[in-house]
Amino acid sequence: MTDRDLDTLDRQLLEALQDDFPLAPRPWREIGDRVGLPETEVLRRVRRLADEGIVLAISPVLESARIGLPASTLIGMRVPPDRVDECASVVNREPGVSHNYLRDHDYNLWFTLAAGNDAALRRTVGGLAARAGVSSHDLLDLPSVRRFKIGVRFRFLPDGEEGT
Amino acid sequence: MNDRDRALLLRLQDGVPLVSEPYQAIAEDLGMTEAEVIARIGTLLSRGVVRRFAVRLDHRKAGILVNAMVAWRVPPGNVARAAEIMARFPEVTHCYERAVIPGRWEYNLFVVLHGRRRDEVDRDIARLSQAAGIDDYTVLVSTRELKRAPPGLALLLQEAVR
Repeated sequence: MTDRDLDTLDRQLLEALQDDFPLAPRPWREIGDRVGLPETEVLRRVRRLADEGIVLAISPVLESARIGLPASTLIGMRVPPDRVDECASVVNREPGVSHNYLRDHDYNLWFTLAAGNDAALRRTVGGLAARAGVSSHDLLDLPSVRRFKIGVRFRFLPDGEEGT
Repeated sequence: MNDRDRALLLRLQDGVPLVSEPYQAIAEDLGMTEAEVIARIGTLLSRGVVRRFAVRLDHRKAGILVNAMVAWRVPPGNVARAAEIMARFPEVTHCYERAVIPGRWEYNLFVVLHGRRRDEVDRDIARLSQAAGIDDYTVLVSTRELKRAPPGLALLLQEAVR
């Protein structure tokens, strides 16, 4: 079940759900007011989008730096194709790893890692590399220096149609 | 953040229930009042512990199939300007300056773009390059998602069992 033809109302809902969820006793009614639907129809459509696996959850995104994980880095590893699954399972077991992707590049395994401080981050990177059997010349450790944008927001309506 | 905040955040990781009065339902689970649940979420947002309280989507199932990371080599004095130009593009979801490894990895500005098709994303990358005036870059398109977990959840869980 992928990419069924979402109708305009579903698209407007997916846009509205990417704004902060209303902090009011009847939040779905407020969303309905924004897109011009009754509360029951909003809920019916959101449940269907959830059943289809498009909506995963309405949930808080925590700011790592504010919950004790201020140090973060991006790691790129050069892993032979036949060792990708083995290395990925070592990496994924590390609780500070939030995202891990295989990418079409000489360095093919890329993941983000957060920790309590720089020393802990370096220890974790060293431990992961050792357990994954990746030598230091096959590893890029690229700590973040400045964050300019983190705004995962997907567009479901053409430009100029915000649905409000 | 206290134990009640932590309990609430843990409960919310699975998402608000899809019922007409979701905060009331959560309040009953946790032995709080609806007003307390709403007030605590508001405070966590205003203090920046919660960066965003909104839908998490499986963007692939919604047809957004391409995730491209682009690493740019930007002259050091020009990073903020280039980053601000790139960050204005709605297709750009992440934009970070990162440390370089001299002689091995000299790309210092990273963006992630999402899009429906590879050719569309390639066009967006060309527009970014032109807008920021940077033409030394490498594109890394994801071919498999191996892990995508809510950041910080594991830490919350660890603290909760202590």
